[in-house]
Amino acid sequence: NSSTSDPLKPFKLKTKQQELLIRVSILCLVYILAFITRLFSVLRYESMIHEFDPYFNYRTTLYLTQHGFYDFWNWFDYESWYPLGRIVGGTLYPGLMVTAALIYRLLHFLRFAVHIREVCVLTAPFFASNTTLVAYFFGKEIWDSGAGLVAAILIAVCPGYISRSVAGSYDNEGVAIFALLFTFYLFVKAVNKGSLAWGLASAFGYFYMVSAWGGYVFIINLIPLYVLVLLITGRYSMRLYVAYNCMYILGMLLAMQIRFVGFQHVQSGEHMAAMGVFFLMQVFYFLDWVKHMLSDTKLFQEFLRITVTCAVAAGGIALGVGMASGYISPWTGRFYSLLDPTYAKDHIPIIASVSEHQPTAWSSFMFDFHILLFLFPAGLYFCFKRLSDATIFIVMYGLTSMYFAGVMVRLILVATPAVCLISAIAVSATVKNLTVLLRSKNKVAQIGSTKGTSSAKASSKASLDQSQPFQKNGAMALLFGAFYLLSRYATHCTWVTSEAYSSPSIVLAARGAHGNRVIFDDYREAYFWLRQNTPPDAKVMSWWDYGYQITAMGNRTVIVDNNTWNNTHIATVGRAMSSYEDEAYEIIRSLDVDYVLVVFGGVTGYSSDDINK
Amino acid sequence: MDLNDLSSDTTSLSWNSRSSLSTRQSHPVQTNVKTGEKLRPNLFVANPQIRKLSKEMAIPSSSAYLFLLSFFTLSLFLAISTAESESELELVADLRALQSESKSGVIHLDDRTIAKFLTSPKTPRPYSILIFFDATQLHDKTELHLRELRQEFTLVASSFITNHNNSNTKLFFADIEFRESQSSFHLFGVNSLPHIRLVGPTAKSLKDESEQMDQGDFSRLAESMAEFVESRTKLTVGPIHRPPILSKTQMGLIVALLLISSPFIAKKIFAGETLLHEPKIWLCGAVFIYFFSVSGAMHNIIRKMPMFLVDRNDPNKLIFFYQGSGMQLGAEGFAVGFLYTIVGLLLAFVTHLLVYVKNAKAKRVAMVFAICVSFWAVQKVIFLDNWKTGYGIHGFWPSSWN
Repeated sequence: NSSTSDPLKPFKLKTKQQELLIRVSILCLVYILAFITRLFSVLRYESMIHEFDPYFNYRTTLYLTQHGFYDFWNWFDYESWYPLGRIVGGTLYPGLMVTAALIYRLLHFLRFAVHIREVCVLTAPFFASNTTLVAYFFGKEIWDSGAGLVAAILIAVCPGYISRSVAGSYDNEGVAIFALLFTFYLFVKAVNKGSLAWGLASAFGYFYMVSAWGGYVFIINLIPLYVLVLLITGRYSMRLYVAYNCMYILGMLLAMQIRFVGFQHVQSGEHMAAMGVFFLMQVFYFLDWVKHMLSDTKLFQEFLRITVTCAVAAGGIALGVGMASGYISPWTGRFYSLLDPTYAKDHIPIIASVSEHQPTAWSSFMFDFHILLFLFPAGLYFCFKRLSDATIFIVMYGLTSMYFAGVMVRLILVATPAVCLISAIAVSATVKNLTVLLRSKNKVAQIGSTKGTSSAKASSKASLDQSQPFQKNGAMALLFGAFYLLSRYATHCTWVTSEAYSSPSIVLAARGAHGNRVIFDDYREAYFWLRQNTPPDAKVMSWWDYGYQITAMGNRTVIVDNNTWNNTHIATVGRAMSSYEDEAYEIIRSLDVDYVLVVFGGVTGYSSDDINK
Repeated sequence: MDLNDLSSDTTSLSWNSRSSLSTRQSHPVQTNVKTGEKLRPNLFVANPQIRKLSKEMAIPSSSAYLFLLSFFTLSLFLAISTAESESELELVADLRALQSESKSGVIHLDDRTIAKFLTSPKTPRPYSILIFFDATQLHDKTELHLRELRQEFTLVASSFITNHNNSNTKLFFADIEFRESQSSFHLFGVNSLPHIRLVGPTAKSLKDESEQMDQGDFSRLAESMAEFVESRTKLTVGPIHRPPILSKTQMGLIVALLLISSPFIAKKIFAGETLLHEPKIWLCGAVFIYFFSVSGAMHNIIRKMPMFLVDRNDPNKLIFFYQGSGMQLGAEGFAVGFLYTIVGLLLAFVTHLLVYVKNAKAKRVAMVFAICVSFWAVQKVIFLDNWKTGYGIHGFWPSSWN
């Protein structure tokens, strides 16, 4: 109640403003939290790039900042895959490098003289924070702003996402998950609003995703599947038509600008679903128009039946002709092994041997998701209760990504945003119900007034209130239980981040005999030795795991590296490494190798050295 | 030819000839060679006619005896040599007969037939045999994949036979079982399974001179077995004919059904009457997909993990939960998935369905029940997870608080 002589009156906010303040402050805190929880390894060791793949990304970003965009786009790298070389411009996804280079340029423009390495190390946490913002808006779109806030908090600390976006993990996924969620949010917004502007924005979001990661195939298959489900369940509408057409055509044209993708959108079997659904949408629009013109329903039914049969038959024939003539290529091994998971094990051993591609046991799910696994089915139920175009989308995204996460451990990353969003719906709805119960006592006195929507519920709850005096206590207990669970979740996530996901694989730590921590920097010392003590044109042979690191830090030519695009070359190196010395020497001389690098960890008990591989 | 040698040769020969020459009767050697030593007494005692003959022919009895002996040894020698070359052909014919009798071309050998086809005939034998060593009691150990390897072996055998148009005599496929033929296992020196051996034409000692297939080659199943055969025997196996999942008629039937029913289905979809339009069906399907993925069922399918293991120390106890992160058993996954689903669905049930129940007491009871079950389930899962992975998750308190 406002009083006339209150000295604090200018500072007292109305309810709406209070709510806005709370929301903005929560979002700011979540933004900062998402950033700082990823900084463990920077604090423990130093600011350096982790693992193997990020070293290649770092080297290309360095080249980009030094030589400019056109030289980078046309770069032929003669220092890796000797003697074949590698066409870098045409075989990578440039999104990450261009983003980091732009941030670097921006900071230099503002006269912050940072090294490119610092920018690279901190790119992933920065984009993780941005992802929390996008999650908030997405949650708001699907359910309401409360769910959006909970989604932002959950995704800020979820270990499934932290594993690939820790500071120093300068890899495509750090940027790609942001692009994925952003594209999905823009598309759902376009479908909800039916506006061309949002469709255009989603096309550009898709372009950014295509430039960032090979996993864009998930988007180009999930969105057509979603459209198909909407069509089947009778939710065709003009909004859907506008949104999908705009996104598909513009997105396809933009995606072809990336040389690595090329013409795959019209030639590869993996992208044919999108094209098929596009043509189906035109058929639906045509049918709708005919229905609008015709007044005779019986005639229309006949016409409908004939048209649909003809359209499906024509589509099937076109697809058959395309595949038989070889114009449309079949699904590649990497993606086919997701549909038929036993395929890689039997036919492509190199895919099956990568540690990230192993199938997931339930303990891995528990490790990465913890409490969210319990909330997911509840969230599913809530979504089904309030079915709309947006909730159908999130349910489909959640289920397909959970299935693929079961096939391959690495894809838990793709499932994380969906799981966080759906669990957020469950948490938000439950907490909302409980707090309504708690606050219902206040509304008993106002039962006569015509206050908005909650009055009916409040009146019924109030009448129940008198018959169940324990209801409020029950609600209080449940609320405390819910908050306790969420706090356990936060503890679990922090522990997991600190212990499991913050180790740069290039620097190893072990416990000494007295429990003191011993740090091994052997990798970097070895690469630096190579850099200082070998001639500049020396060629180094090692197992393909270390290729990127040798070229980036040792600055020497390697025979094979992590790109694994030529299996025969890798097989030659493998044969050289596992034959007897006189045979191996012949092979090595034929490859023109000067130095051989072998990793041995026997004395320290390092388990992933070359002998074990 | 020394008589002792003769007896040893002929005893083995008699054994051979007894089994394969069942149609032959009264072989002149047979009856005489049961006990070779009886040759001389028979001549002296049981053939008075010869003595008479010798007397009548006025040949001295000792020379008659010598003549008869040499005659018998010569006929014996001839019989043996012809029998040997004949019995080689007979052996091959026997093998082919066994092969055509058997299902899909894999001959089942035991101690007796091993001796007949492998240890008795002289080297070089006209054929080689590829033997698959099996043990039915170990079929349940999934890590050995014995059933699967046996099927792949059968595929290689049948492909080989069809590719050579049933006219092959050089290579035969056989299998042998542990319980029936333990002595043969000992002969070959086999003490671990799975095991495949190639016995070439010139291998005398079965233990040392038969060629064993590498353990590492088993992973590629029929293809690696075919490669092994081709590299050691210089015979081509040819393409392996695997039976398709759906036979041609089944496929044709399915396609026809789809084509016929598509207009009807399309009409129903547009009318909005199908089962697909019921949201509850979709909800059940969604929860099932979630349950399937989260319980690690894909992991079990890809790695072919069993539902439970038998405890190594106590064969009567069953192990349902595997201790160690990264791997899991079938029943374990489903149990955990079930616990997740229960908690989630109970939460949804309490929030939405309980409101419609009129009776206050029933509502209270139901709510308390839901709370207890959820609490128990969550605690169980957390306990299981900590036990399985061994992680001790703790909060980070400032060190000054300790």
